[in-house]
Amino acid sequence: MTIKTFAVAAAISASLSMTAAAQDVVIGLSGALTGPSAGSYAPAIEGIRLYVDKVNAGGGVAGRKIKLIILDDQGEASKGAANATKLISQDNVSLLINSSLSSTFAPMIAATGQAGIPLLFAASACPKEVYPPANPLLFCTTAFASKFDSQATLDFITKSGGNVSLGLVAMAIPISRSEIESAEGLATVKGMKVADKAIIPPPTPDYTPFATKLSAAGANWVYAWAPWVTQVRTFEGLRKIGWNGRYIAWAHLESESELARLKDPALYAIGANALFAQDLPVQREMQATAKAAGATYPASQMTEGWIAGMVLEAALGKAGPNADAKAIQAAMQSLSVDTKGLRGGPIEWTAANHFRTRQFYRIYRWAPTSSAIEVVQDWTAYDVK
Amino acid sequence: MSDQVHPTQLSTVMLQPASRSARTIFVSALLAVAIIIFPFFATPFHLDVANQILLASIGALSLMLLTGFAGQISLGHAGLIAAGAFTAGILSKEAGAPFWIGIPAAGATGGLLGLIFGLPSLRLRGVYLAVSTLALHFIVVYAGGEYENLVGGSGGILIPPPSLWGLKINTGKAWYVLLVAGAILAFLVTWNVVRSRTGRAFAAVHGRETVAAALGINVARTKLTAFVISSSMTAIAGALFAYYRGFVSIEAFSLYLSIQYIAMIIIGGIGTLPGAFLGALFVTLLPYLIETVVAHLPGAQAMAGSIFAVNYAAFGLVMIVFLVFEPSGLVGLWRRLERRLLIGRQSP
Amino acid sequence: MQIVLNILVLGSIYSLISCGYVIIYKVSRVLNLAHGELMMVGAYLLLTTASAGWLGSPLAAIGLALVLSLTVGILVYVLLMRRMTGESVLAAVLTTIALGILIRGAVVLLWSAQHHYPATKLHIANPSIELFQNAKLSLISLILIGVTVATYAALFAFMRFGRWGLRMRATGQNALLAAQRGVNLHAVYALAWGISTFTGAVAGMLIALDSGLDSTIVMIGLKAFPAALVGGLDSLAGAIIGSIIISASEVILIQHFNPLLSDAVPFLILIAMLVIRPWGLFGTREELDRV
Repeated sequence: MTIKTFAVAAAISASLSMTAAAQDVVIGLSGALTGPSAGSYAPAIEGIRLYVDKVNAGGGVAGRKIKLIILDDQGEASKGAANATKLISQDNVSLLINSSLSSTFAPMIAATGQAGIPLLFAASACPKEVYPPANPLLFCTTAFASKFDSQATLDFITKSGGNVSLGLVAMAIPISRSEIESAEGLATVKGMKVADKAIIPPPTPDYTPFATKLSAAGANWVYAWAPWVTQVRTFEGLRKIGWNGRYIAWAHLESESELARLKDPALYAIGANALFAQDLPVQREMQATAKAAGATYPASQMTEGWIAGMVLEAALGKAGPNADAKAIQAAMQSLSVDTKGLRGGPIEWTAANHFRTRQFYRIYRWAPTSSAIEVVQDWTAYDVK
Repeated sequence: MSDQVHPTQLSTVMLQPASRSARTIFVSALLAVAIIIFPFFATPFHLDVANQILLASIGALSLMLLTGFAGQISLGHAGLIAAGAFTAGILSKEAGAPFWIGIPAAGATGGLLGLIFGLPSLRLRGVYLAVSTLALHFIVVYAGGEYENLVGGSGGILIPPPSLWGLKINTGKAWYVLLVAGAILAFLVTWNVVRSRTGRAFAAVHGRETVAAALGINVARTKLTAFVISSSMTAIAGALFAYYRGFVSIEAFSLYLSIQYIAMIIIGGIGTLPGAFLGALFVTLLPYLIETVVAHLPGAQAMAGSIFAVNYAAFGLVMIVFLVFEPSGLVGLWRRLERRLLIGRQSP
Repeated sequence: MQIVLNILVLGSIYSLISCGYVIIYKVSRVLNLAHGELMMVGAYLLLTTASAGWLGSPLAAIGLALVLSLTVGILVYVLLMRRMTGESVLAAVLTTIALGILIRGAVVLLWSAQHHYPATKLHIANPSIELFQNAKLSLISLILIGVTVATYAALFAFMRFGRWGLRMRATGQNALLAAQRGVNLHAVYALAWGISTFTGAVAGMLIALDSGLDSTIVMIGLKAFPAALVGGLDSLAGAIIGSIIISASEVILIQHFNPLLSDAVPFLILIAMLVIRPWGLFGTREELDRV
């Protein structure tokens, strides 16, 4: 009964979209444009929008223009679910993009699964279903990667030498806690001493008590994998009580300006995206595009969106003209996208791996001698199997 | 009787029980037709919004019973909704329990929590009671968060779509039918409670506790009854929410949700059952309304990035306007308007 | 030693915030659940005055922001809460909740949701200071403790000896009688809202100067609320004691037990208090029957 209704609806909508705009390929996006967590997603969403506009201005891809419909879910699961329903059943999108909190994943995965439409995670955390063996419908371009981030960080700490006593910092949200817990396990395997693990509730008036505990436990290296606020305020809390160890944190989009604000040479940022200090040609292009469009966010915060746009363009180009959701999904099963230096290497997808076959990391810090951000360790690759 | 009837006299004539109930029947029939034909014209998106309104109505009815009729304020409504949702989620995940077990189990959990939430009400009143329910909200949310972290994964707990008599409830339409039935059932339950002896005891306790006690009403039992019935219904609404969305995550149950429910009963009209429906309708639709308005304003592009903030500010403003200027809510507004219209129609 | 210092800093934050709850409640029996939001407004006002180049010195910026905060508090009473006098206690509390939501939205609209660093804007350095052997704190935390002590001293003196303080106490004890004796109730209430917002703003500004500013600062206001209630909603001395109890339990939990509990425990203490002694440690017992 439901299948029948759906088939009829699909047939009607297919005929409708044929007559309405046979030229356009319709892509839907539901993301945290606004709301308390918008700061991490809205710049990336703007990046995708600008990239799509740029592609359309250049004549589109495979002879078609891209019609990108962006809906705001404010990071709320029920809004994400409602958006997915609308985009799939009313706008007949051929591909859906999620740029929001992980609590919106479950309803969107369910909705796209039912409709057989590919779902791309861009700027939002990669769900475990995109790693090998991958769910055929789910894909991810986001920089950070569970377990690999901690692996790369701990490898760097080990290489830095000396007698390491490790402190770990997480925010009391599931994604951050599970990553830090996996780091704890990994450290034990590597034979590192874990001095303390601080899991910090989000609304914390004063980070000093947590810093005191880390410092008192004798940590001389601290690794934080959490939203930027928690990472940086714990660091500042540690410095306030006179701790002088080294601190490494995930390079969120704020990190570039924050490294410059704090000017602390023992604060490291590990990330998979090239910072703008690099001044790559593609970054100059991003800046010019953002300026011309009068963008709300600085181009330096749009890297995630730009990369998702590149991947989208490549997938649609490979799928060819008149490709439907199925053809686009088929094209995405094996894809290689040159990131032009925004990442350490190309994003490569295989039938079994919808994350990327190789993940690259780079580590930055503030160099007081040159008064600029410097690369401490250049691209290091990890195979994703 | 003279030929000239004074407008005010007329309005009292018009509002006499007989004509009033006739009008009530007419309005109800109209409403019933609208509810029945709605799914045939609605898009899936509209159905989804309608289902959200129905879910909110059940939650608002139960809060109306507690606050609007028994006069016990609660800031822990979101905690109770979370408790119901998590009961259904945990039972489904850990034991594969079906819908017809999950719902009563949520009701039982809610009832038990209601008893605990209600205990402070025996000693505390007004603001102090509100604070104690606020505290319990934080504790429920803490426990839910710990469970979610324990079972791992940041996507919350997934719940498969429920089946009733062999029918899978997984489309917007099926849910609409189920939720309309649920909302009617919730309405009948609250209506019966309000009209019963218990309901009159609620009103007495709401008015003056000491007087109620002097009249031979067991104040403690009345208060606890109100908490248990209301919390049980709230938890069922939470469980329905969990089944409807197909997953539970603690992030959905913030203090803001409790405030939204309080806003529903204030905006709808405190102490009236239709008010719960009107409030649920209004509060659920408000953000969509604002989005539409903002989209048609000049400079929509610039505003788009702050629509969340606009929603927040507008929601606060609407609440203030009702509290200050129309404390009897939409129901009171409707009654006044009705009276004025009737007078206007008859006078020339 | 560091732990004692941490308790002292956190306790000062809570004390400075919770006295705002107490002042309004003591005078007008209104529980102001928008206090956290008003505190946030104060901090954001500092951000604006800090950006105004013509003010010259950081002290001028802080001073102007404080005057503006006082005005905001008075305006909240004159424009909104005045209409709620005579309404039920509940309606007044709900109005403050609604006001809080309105402010949250307005703040994001006016100042964006980004993180801001007013200290950087004002060129205020925040070095680490070694107060005792192995016990350090930041300069602004030290100032925070000093300001809290000064604020409470001023409040006690004002309430005890000031003419308006006397009027405020009289209004709090019996508003009708006070009005009959010629006290201008509206002026007293407006003053209470002004002072409360002022002290809240001081707290907000110091927190923002110490560790940056974004809209999550309102949650700190909510966390200070159990402190006021544990101490007794109508007692200033109680607010200090309550704050120390809450902050000590929080810091000790973080140090020796599960840090995650630090979020729920203030409310557990609050429930325990409500069961044992609902009017708080230093509150007046009759308060319970009046609400």
